[in-house]
Amino acid sequence: MTETQHGTRGEARPAAPRPSQSPRAGGPAGARRRSSARIGPKLGRFSLFALPGLLAYVVFVLIPIGMTGYYSFTNRNPFNPPTKWVGLRNYGDLLGDQEFRQALVNTVIITVIVAVFANVGGLLIAMLLDRPTRLYVALRGIFFTPVVLSAVVISVIWQAVLTDDGLLNSLLRGVGVDDPPGWLSDPDLALYSIAWIITWQMLGFCVVVYLAGLQGVPRELQEAASIDGAGRFARFRNVTWPMLAPALTINTVMLLITGFKAYDQIQVITNGGPGTGTTSTMAFQVVQTAFNGNHIGYSSAMAAVMLALVATVSVIALRLLQRREVTQ
Amino acid sequence: MDDRTHSWLRPLVAVFVGAVFFLPLYLVVVNVFKPGADIVPHPAGLPVPPTFDNISAVLSRPDNLFTFGLINSVAVTALSITILTVLSAMLGHYLARSKRVLAKVAMVTLLCGLMIPVPVILEPITGVLKTLGLMTTLQGLILVNVGYYVPFGVLLFMGFVRSVPLELEEAAELDGASKLRVFWQVVFPLLRPASASVLIFLGVWIWNDFLTPLILLGPDSGTTVTVGVYRAIGQHQSDFGAVFAFMFLATLPILIFYLALQKNFVKGLTGGAVKG
Repeated sequence: MTETQHGTRGEARPAAPRPSQSPRAGGPAGARRRSSARIGPKLGRFSLFALPGLLAYVVFVLIPIGMTGYYSFTNRNPFNPPTKWVGLRNYGDLLGDQEFRQALVNTVIITVIVAVFANVGGLLIAMLLDRPTRLYVALRGIFFTPVVLSAVVISVIWQAVLTDDGLLNSLLRGVGVDDPPGWLSDPDLALYSIAWIITWQMLGFCVVVYLAGLQGVPRELQEAASIDGAGRFARFRNVTWPMLAPALTINTVMLLITGFKAYDQIQVITNGGPGTGTTSTMAFQVVQTAFNGNHIGYSSAMAAVMLALVATVSVIALRLLQRREVTQ
Repeated sequence: MDDRTHSWLRPLVAVFVGAVFFLPLYLVVVNVFKPGADIVPHPAGLPVPPTFDNISAVLSRPDNLFTFGLINSVAVTALSITILTVLSAMLGHYLARSKRVLAKVAMVTLLCGLMIPVPVILEPITGVLKTLGLMTTLQGLILVNVGYYVPFGVLLFMGFVRSVPLELEEAAELDGASKLRVFWQVVFPLLRPASASVLIFLGVWIWNDFLTPLILLGPDSGTTVTVGVYRAIGQHQSDFGAVFAFMFLATLPILIFYLALQKNFVKGLTGGAVKG
């Protein structure tokens, strides 16, 4: 310990006679001289403390990404060696792969539904609950609860509700609907049921973020607009909504990422069905191909496409939404 | 104001929407305490008198799916978030303070990690773990959690470190504190609200993780409670009481953890604001 102290003191000294680099240096504040005399603070051993976290990230994220990229150009299959370089063949095969195309379309449908409905619903509920009394605070807690629960638990709950003889259809039969829809067994409906389940879970997240945004809208602005004769809608459009731009950015990016990686609900509820792949998503397709089919080369190509799509869409959305924040 | 003319409407609508939204959760909670035979004919009825048969059946399962899962989940979550909080605070502190190009590169690389979906890297991760001899071990899962979630921790800590005055660190150093002491006794305590956020978010996420423990712990060596829920529905799909009780018990610890820390989190934020 003592060595460190001497070490850092000794190192800090030569830094002092470089006053030109700091506006504060050279002034009478002698005690500040050492740190301010450098462009940045002296970090010394702090860089050592930074290493373990970085190392874990490199070993368990960066190296695996590199491996996925490399495997995507091979025919790797642990049960069918040897692994050979196949160039772009996996990517070529993906272009004609109906199942993958369907998974891609399903993922986009889920993502769009979740991003739109959780945003709109979240905003409406946030405006409804934007009152400080106990009732509304308690209701906020209710909407936030599913955010804390695991997607597996949420899936099982909704499966019990939406299955053919489930709670919703018993209710519908009770009120005289003879042939209620098969929310999870009808190939045309199941995907939308999955999207609804994810929306329901993410709704509370959006509510909380929008509430935080609403509480940042100054009351004076509302009142000023009101005095100027602005009606409710005009006040929302011109005062509230622009000030919610950062909340919209957070929610949209979060929802896009959540929608794109949708996996748990499919594995727990539909296993990709009913029929073949009607609710399969990209994440589901990647995992199935890798762990059930052992076609690692091919699944890696899917994974690379998936990552490229997630990255492109998130970055574009982030740019567009943040530009909107600045201009307003 | 036009607000007042409909003053009765808002609470009415709010309660109605809240009740409809909460209905699925209500169904789980009431049916946990109902005998199995009552669930299908009266799904929404209150459990009077309540029975604890479903709960005790889960706790006394011969395969110990719940009890072992609970132990594994607690161990994995607690160790992962403890390590993550310390490591990402150190890394976030360094990256927020450093002006080096290399630090900027590391920061951007880490932020990119925020949007990487698990399935993209899962198969290679199993390869890395097999090389390290850690596949199907809790240690392996914890290390993977640390690597995968470190970007999120760094993101939260970096924003917060900028609000800690550099002068405080320098004063401690002038007084002769080593770098380790400066970090541990000056910087880290000041980052408490950020630590609370990291603990809450990552605690909830890691507890609820499904795919990662499903694959990394494998079918043979015990699993987490969240994967346990999935295994339990495979076995008795029609016994709602058993499944709901399993889910209820699997969720309770993380819900309590969330509620307990949330208070602390709010206190930390407002306390700081009041003191200025």
